[in-house]
Amino acid sequence: MAKQILQCTVNGEPVEVLVQPYVTLLDALREDLGLTGPKEGCGTGDCGACTVHVDGKVVASCLMLAMQARGRKVRTIEGLGGVETLHPLQDAFVRHGVPQCGFCIPGVLMAAAALLEENPRPSEEQIRYGIAGNLCRCTGYTKMVTAISEAAGMLASQRSAR
Amino acid sequence: MSTMKTTRDVKGVGVAIPRPDGPEKVTGRVQYVGDIKPKGLLHAKLLRSPHAHAKIVSIDTSAARALPGVRAVLTAKDIPHLKKKAPTRAHAVLAIDRAVFMGQPVAAVAADEPSIAEEALDLIKVEYQVLPASIDPLKAMQPGAPPVADAGTEADTSEALAHSAVAIAKSEAPAKAVNISQQARLQRGDVAKGFAESDHVLEKTYRVPMVHQGYLEPHAVLAEWDRNGLLTLWASTQGSFNTRSEVSDVLGIPENQIRVIPVECGGGFGGKIRALCEPITAVLAKVTGRPVRYVMTRREELIAGMPAPQVIIRLKTGVKRDGTLMAIDAETIIDSGAFSGAVLAVSAVFIGSMYKWPSFDLRGFEVLTHKPSVAAYRAPVAPQTIFAIESHMEQIARDLGLDPVEFRMRHLIQEGDPMVNGQPWQSNGAKQVLARIAEHPHWKTRKQWVAAGKDGRRRGVGLALGGWLGGLQPTGATVRLNPDGSLAVLTGQVDIAGTNIALAQIAASAYGVDTDQVRITTGDTDVAPMTGLSAGSKTIYTVGAAVLQAAEDARRQTFEIAAKELEASIHDLELVDGKLTVRGMPDKGITLATIGKKGNLYMSKTPPVLGKANPAFSQQAPGFAAQLARLEVDPDTGEVTIHDFVVVQDVGKAINPIGVEGQMQGGAVQSLGIALTEGLLFDDSGRLTNPSLLDYRKLTAADLPNLETIIVEVPSPAGPFGARGVGEPPIIPAPAAIANAIQDATGARLTELPMSPERIALALVNGTH
Repeated sequence: MAKQILQCTVNGEPVEVLVQPYVTLLDALREDLGLTGPKEGCGTGDCGACTVHVDGKVVASCLMLAMQARGRKVRTIEGLGGVETLHPLQDAFVRHGVPQCGFCIPGVLMAAAALLEENPRPSEEQIRYGIAGNLCRCTGYTKMVTAISEAAGMLASQRSAR
Repeated sequence: MSTMKTTRDVKGVGVAIPRPDGPEKVTGRVQYVGDIKPKGLLHAKLLRSPHAHAKIVSIDTSAARALPGVRAVLTAKDIPHLKKKAPTRAHAVLAIDRAVFMGQPVAAVAADEPSIAEEALDLIKVEYQVLPASIDPLKAMQPGAPPVADAGTEADTSEALAHSAVAIAKSEAPAKAVNISQQARLQRGDVAKGFAESDHVLEKTYRVPMVHQGYLEPHAVLAEWDRNGLLTLWASTQGSFNTRSEVSDVLGIPENQIRVIPVECGGGFGGKIRALCEPITAVLAKVTGRPVRYVMTRREELIAGMPAPQVIIRLKTGVKRDGTLMAIDAETIIDSGAFSGAVLAVSAVFIGSMYKWPSFDLRGFEVLTHKPSVAAYRAPVAPQTIFAIESHMEQIARDLGLDPVEFRMRHLIQEGDPMVNGQPWQSNGAKQVLARIAEHPHWKTRKQWVAAGKDGRRRGVGLALGGWLGGLQPTGATVRLNPDGSLAVLTGQVDIAGTNIALAQIAASAYGVDTDQVRITTGDTDVAPMTGLSAGSKTIYTVGAAVLQAAEDARRQTFEIAAKELEASIHDLELVDGKLTVRGMPDKGITLATIGKKGNLYMSKTPPVLGKANPAFSQQAPGFAAQLARLEVDPDTGEVTIHDFVVVQDVGKAINPIGVEGQMQGGAVQSLGIALTEGLLFDDSGRLTNPSLLDYRKLTAADLPNLETIIVEVPSPAGPFGARGVGEPPIIPAPAAIANAIQDATGARLTELPMSPERIALALVNGTH
């Protein structure tokens, strides 16, 4: 099969890359663009480790063909924080000691970031549903929920200070 | 030496410090095996048997070999040192003439792209002759059952040894039945008389299916050989030295020709102790002369990983009307899948040893079936065993109208009581954690809370206690003083859960600096001191002890140098804020940085400070946890909603409370998954019917409340700063705690896991009591 040209925006930068038409967005990001933050935990959309944003919406990148991202804006964990600074969600995850093995963390953070963009002050239940598509086997989720709730508060107070 | 033992006022042990690699983990920069992409990388795929038991008549790989981009296609014929009688799963690299479980590798491919490797698998033609299979362990035990092992059945007890969980006091002669690979019997007293004198005899059978550890990163390995014949493995492993030994043994390569680099491990929980895909990947790399990476898919993990065994426990107890224990009789059957390797002894020890039974007869059998062979899963066989004994104890208390906590407390062991294997219980906090959970308001107000249920939903509160004896393994560590006055700690310990920061805190407190002055490195098998597995709740207890001793050694060396430099007695020195001074003479001092620099100066006569320790251990430190659930059951659907869940655990000393809480919460949720949703479901032909995470349900955040953690500290006599292992205890009690709460809510006693809505609803309809 002939490779096709994928043009899209990834983490704010325009990219142009040759991909096989059957390649998933996850594989294109990991293998062709060297963005290995998104992980493959299942390949069937059940674990959420591959979660990225496409046009601001949460997507399981293992279930989307790379060519479906043509002309769209893709954001991965590599684009969540700045070069020197962590996103408040990342910062809260570090301070609360959320990551253990860490494999689920990029996906959970992207799901949480999308949740907070849609719903800046979620309840505990809303947070729990917001990351229900992301399996974590180490943490038991409690510290995760606490950290997301705290980051939401920080983001909200940053917004009101502006 | 009194100088060495003073309490140091440093930011070390007991402080909640986030792990320093947190920023790498939250930015996605941490590299796992699947993220490493060397030049010339090939991708491996395995062709797996579609039958649980089949003779391999022929394999034709010609079409696969001819596919462009395919670099190697291997069958057992291409690996001459494979032996027909594989003692372990790792040795059965590829099936030779018979496949013994569905999913067993039959052929291997390395290709330029994963998609080419997959296409090649489709082109391999295998002719199978399907054979009758032993799937149900109870049938597999019967004479005439289709045999699993090739020639006789051999026990593999290395898993038990690796966990050094319990000593097997007495093993019987090899069994007659074809698929029984291990059996043991422990007896004391006159059981028949005990039952005859009992007022209350209760017999129930408890069943727990195979469950998968569910580490989110599937097994992965990258292998490459150099021109000198040195094999390097980048492995997702819980123990690099163990991986090296197993690969050496399987492939017949000397250990000094293998270097295992423990890459960040995306979860293991016991499933990444034993070698699995490392040997075949190494062979593919050898024959292609290229780096080869193999990453299992989730489907492969579920079909052909190394799950926890299916466990069936038939339990019979006899007690007096007042609750006096008389006799216990139990038969444990552990379905180990196609290869031996289950930790049989754990079951007998916890069935018979947690409460003081005057007479017991405990029989255990490990049975082979045509299913994937098992491995450890966090406290192997303990959650299954505790589900039986703690459900049973609750039922006895309920039948006799006794307070369930008081009844347990009356018979609960303490230090010095004999276990069923004759060994004495070491110091432990079993009574303390049970007492602590019984003080919890959720327990004290349980009757009011249950009575306040509404909308027809039934409320219940239940608790259970569970324990783990604690693993042991020799290990080593070094502590070096840097020229800037900071410390460098080196071990080979694989850090999955955040143990490295706790080890750094131990070094800081033992040496006398703040933790931010300590950097700890996990070295590979070429550079690190020999270090044990990250398993069995023993990292802090054993590696922590090594780090503590190495740091004390480094401190002693530092003080000797300072005493010489300052012309003072070592006993008059104190170390404060990175400077050694003579007590009472604050101006007379030398900084750690100065001592560190002197150890690295050309022509210097000062030896560089290098503390080392390489201890072995004999004294275990049992860890106990108690868990409490408040839940509601929808009687129409059988759905369980957990409102509150409390974990009380004796950790001896919480070296880093963040990490300890993380273990308590994570372990509890894995335990709740075993209780409520998880189970590998095989049909009569040995085919897994739920090989995806959609059909094999792990708990999500939406299924759970926030978990409350209560840390109890009963110091262990030998652990560093009194610490005990933390990892295993929290996965143990929940199935029993949930079963007890469901009975409190509905009156139904569930004896089979998972306690799915269907099972609960059926139990309510059938009136199982």
